Amino acid sequence: MGLKSENGASEAIKLCVFDLRRGQTEGQELDKILFFYPADLPLSAQLSVIGLSEGLITFTRIFSPEAPCEVIEAEVHSHVFYEAEPDIWMVMVVEKDKESEAIWRIDALRKVLEEVHSLFVMFHGSIRTLVDKEPTGGLVRTHLYYFIMDFLSAFEKRSPLEYCCWDFSIGKKLQLPNFRESLKERGTIQMLTVGREAAIEVQSLVRVLESCAGNTQCYSLTMFQDLLVSSNLSPIDAVRLFTYAVLRLTPLALSSGVSSWSSSRKGNTACNTSAGAVLANSGLVVDQYYNSPDASALGSRSYPVVRPLQHAKWSKGKDGFLVTDIWGADVNNLVCTSPTIWLNQTEEKMYLLAYQHRGLTMMLLIPVSSVNGEQGIAMVKQQILENASLKMFKVEEKLSRGWGGENAYHVSGYRYLLMDGDRYISRASPPGKVTTLTKESLIAFCKLREEVDSEKSRAKWDNSGCEKDLELSIRAKNNAWLIARLTRGKELYMVLEKANETLLYASDAVEKFSERYCNGVFSLD
Amino acid sequence: MPSNSNSSPSSSSSDNDDRNPNSNPDPSPNPKPNVKPVSIDQSLDAIENQLASISMSSRSPTATVDDEEEVGEEEGQPVEQLKITNGSLSEEIGEEGVTDSIEDEHIASSSMAESSGVIKESPPFVWRNNLEAHEVERPLSPSSSGYAGEMGSTSGGDEIIDDDEDGNEIREVGNDGVLGSHEQRISGKRHRDEDDASVSWRKRKKHFFILSHSGKPIYSRYGDEHKLAGFSATLQAIISFVENGRDRVKLVRAGKHQVVFLVKGPIYLVCISCTEEPYESLRGQLELLYGQMILILTKSVNRCFEKNPKFDMTSLLGGTDAVFSSLIHSFSWNPATFLHAYSCLPLAYATRQAAGAILHDIAGSGILFALLMCKHKVISLVGAQKASLHPDDILLLSNFIMSSESFRTSESFSPICLPRFNPMAFLYAYVHYFDMDTYLVLLTTSSDAFYHLKDSRIRIESVLLKSNVLSEVQRSLVDGGMHIEDLPVDPISRAGTVSSHLGQPRAATDFPGRLGDAFVGIGGPAGLWHFIYRSISLDQYVSSEFSSPINSLKQQKRLYRAYQRLYASMHDGNGPHKTQFRRDENYVLLCWVTQDFELYAAFDPLADKALAIKVCNRVCQWVKDVENEIFLLGASPFSW
Repeated sequence: MGLKSENGASEAIKLCVFDLRRGQTEGQELDKILFFYPADLPLSAQLSVIGLSEGLITFTRIFSPEAPCEVIEAEVHSHVFYEAEPDIWMVMVVEKDKESEAIWRIDALRKVLEEVHSLFVMFHGSIRTLVDKEPTGGLVRTHLYYFIMDFLSAFEKRSPLEYCCWDFSIGKKLQLPNFRESLKERGTIQMLTVGREAAIEVQSLVRVLESCAGNTQCYSLTMFQDLLVSSNLSPIDAVRLFTYAVLRLTPLALSSGVSSWSSSRKGNTACNTSAGAVLANSGLVVDQYYNSPDASALGSRSYPVVRPLQHAKWSKGKDGFLVTDIWGADVNNLVCTSPTIWLNQTEEKMYLLAYQHRGLTMMLLIPVSSVNGEQGIAMVKQQILENASLKMFKVEEKLSRGWGGENAYHVSGYRYLLMDGDRYISRASPPGKVTTLTKESLIAFCKLREEVDSEKSRAKWDNSGCEKDLELSIRAKNNAWLIARLTRGKELYMVLEKANETLLYASDAVEKFSERYCNGVFSLD
Repeated sequence: MPSNSNSSPSSSSSDNDDRNPNSNPDPSPNPKPNVKPVSIDQSLDAIENQLASISMSSRSPTATVDDEEEVGEEEGQPVEQLKITNGSLSEEIGEEGVTDSIEDEHIASSSMAESSGVIKESPPFVWRNNLEAHEVERPLSPSSSGYAGEMGSTSGGDEIIDDDEDGNEIREVGNDGVLGSHEQRISGKRHRDEDDASVSWRKRKKHFFILSHSGKPIYSRYGDEHKLAGFSATLQAIISFVENGRDRVKLVRAGKHQVVFLVKGPIYLVCISCTEEPYESLRGQLELLYGQMILILTKSVNRCFEKNPKFDMTSLLGGTDAVFSSLIHSFSWNPATFLHAYSCLPLAYATRQAAGAILHDIAGSGILFALLMCKHKVISLVGAQKASLHPDDILLLSNFIMSSESFRTSESFSPICLPRFNPMAFLYAYVHYFDMDTYLVLLTTSSDAFYHLKDSRIRIESVLLKSNVLSEVQRSLVDGGMHIEDLPVDPISRAGTVSSHLGQPRAATDFPGRLGDAFVGIGGPAGLWHFIYRSISLDQYVSSEFSSPINSLKQQKRLYRAYQRLYASMHDGNGPHKTQFRRDENYVLLCWVTQDFELYAAFDPLADKALAIKVCNRVCQWVKDVENEIFLLGASPFSW
């Protein structure tokens, strides 16, 4: 259309966080911006993104006060909106390109924003709290900058030869979930299916583990490889911790962290990187801040920033516990400070203890208030080693014997995604199998999911509490069957490329799948 | 759950008030229709003036239908036909013909003619200056009208029908297989007192706006355009802001609301809707709205903006509110608006042949297209060699004619543009109603063909009367089209016994109550509730009559919207897909697209899948069996 942006790769994605309560007076608009990627975008361009976003939020409130702007679709770009906290907005601008892979499902992109925000809140508390804590905005900007940049690095398109650094501004292209990931659902947990006997053993192990923390109310989350085995966290907290574990803690995450990151970057940058220096290129906002009269005191402290998403900062200690210096270390660098997270459900700060034996990763969350600092943690660790480690070995052995490997949940002939929205659980065909589908099927399927997304949101606005019931089967131009079934909060999606041409055959295939793998939830009769 | 829970007590009560004919907003003309910037040359002024006269300004409330109908001569009586003098002015217009109708020179000359006071003597095509001003001053008389077929004039006697979006239902069920078909009763603008500050205005389910690229309002479905200047400027700001980023805004989504943008050169069109229609449908509606505007003004209007970006177009469209209202209303009942196909009135093959034959006889002799229509349905149509008529043009043309009360009362001759045929040029339409529903449209490129066309009409009329076509049309209106109850059990067994009405013996008196909600069919086999069949090669569709339980207008509109979504889903840009089965709490919908046809069928949500598929096959067979009667064959507008 002749509308292509000229700036190439670095402009393909923009991501910003802004606070509508700030920068109300003219000339102070920059103060709204809490985060902007790419940071080297000229300020005028940054302001124009924020300006358009704010303008449309205001405009859409005229007609839709309860649900302002969610997305702007333009010829070349999609602007995805997410109101993370009241008046705190995250907006992602992506460039579309029908010729290449840049075909997006808006809800999938919004889930990325939701994910980065929910992880941020888990580690740092709400953005609003940080803004209020330090009204000049330096604190929240520093935190957001490191956190989101570390987060985005996961989406970097890497070439094998390239040593990654987290400076995105140098022509790196981020690769966000596109149509090829339509058979996946971000923000859900993938479960390991375990037999009855193994389940009982896991439960008894969890009980032992929790007893190691004494009488305090603690939580645990047990994983095997990248799959959840058991947890007593609330669904929201479980999703957050699970997501983090898959990103940084599981054996797979640990090994990929080491291989793809330059060891030279392994200095202890967590606490002493000068936020000012790093942020300088994000422009005037920060400069302004550092030039302000009272900045010197804070500036010299350089805002100690914890960067939980920093790559390759976790490793497995000799005792089996996972260690990191992300949260700092004592002077001798011998004992690292224990990681802490905030629980959404109890709004309590918890120590995070992670123990790993081969494929098994067990996480124990202990209230900070009930433990006597690092000493107390060391004691709990000791308890675990004494009382639980043997049991863990056994459980790991049992689980790995019963596990079918990465294609364990492949169902021959099917490419599927199964979701339980109430429990934030999903299961899908292994990625390796999904890649066998043609691009046409995947694009058409992505469209179908968009359609279902809008049906779902419509149902949400129309009648709160009543779940959408829908059965949808499309035979696409390339003869693939695209199927969606929604019932009682559960969703089943399928792409069948080698199916027979009749609708009855396709329905039959769904029926069989439902009977066999979903306890007949999606069966009609 | 019901997707059309749009009725709120307050809004329906206000609409009831509006149904009072006298509440038709005072169509007082723009007091200063042609503000002439000093820097603009005279010919541009002339264009403005011309466009103003083309568009027909609103009339003073004292205008009667008769006043508006007749053209021209001082002595002209209301029933007198218009007489074309051979004035140089009309010559010029005629010469322009198809190529370009708004030529500066002739406009200039016309404005001179006007300024020299020839108004009263002027021929039917009087391009008058300051039309509105004159209209206000002078008492309306038959001779005061510029030309016949005053477009979209809103006469005081029109019943205002509820618009479809704010909790009101379409008034009547058509018995012809579409949702209420009385769009012609829709009058002009409603809720003129509202503006963007009014709560009621903000709560309207579906807004349409047309504005200029400088942000000047041109049309708003609700509220007074002039009061919406600020709002209009905001829309313009959004569009240009995105344009400045080298992009073009298409859609903004917020909760249930969608804001859809369409940029057509200097004209911006915007729809703000919470009706749950897909983006593609809303965009298609904006395209049609733009087409309707082009039909009235031609695309030459762009030139006004080239010369004066701040050009104010509202006056050009004055009095055409009814045309736009009726088009917008059709977006919620007429499948032609999203199928891009037209429908035919069911008639015995011989009857339609008879009608086609006489149209064919007269076509060619300077006539580009001849259409015999019954409401929005085609009885027959004929095009001159190689000329083809797009279904959207048929839709816009029939909407224009039916929503302009003036066409109804006597024959008219009026310039119109067919946007798909040639958006730059005016054609001239001779329109004559044979009865309440049936009318003839003869299209020509020649502006002085009135008498010729009138003669042709007389010939056609006599043949139609002789061959009973008009009475057959009335009979078809009563009988309706395909009733799902009549779906043959075994198509082959009754192949030889095609009887008078679509394969089934049926007396018109069987269903005396069919015109209203009272008619209750029993539904079709296997839970079949309704279907639409679109023939791809013919550009035509047929829609079954509504039957139980799709009785109420609300249910009909909901089904219409479901079809609309199904259509959009099947044609999603990568498609068309081949088959779709969709079951939700309201329906089972089945869609089947082949190279020859598209079938859309609605069933009971509990319908059995296998049986439903069988029934769809039977429907297709049935349609093929009776295609002689439901389609216009061998006269596809694209096959000339």
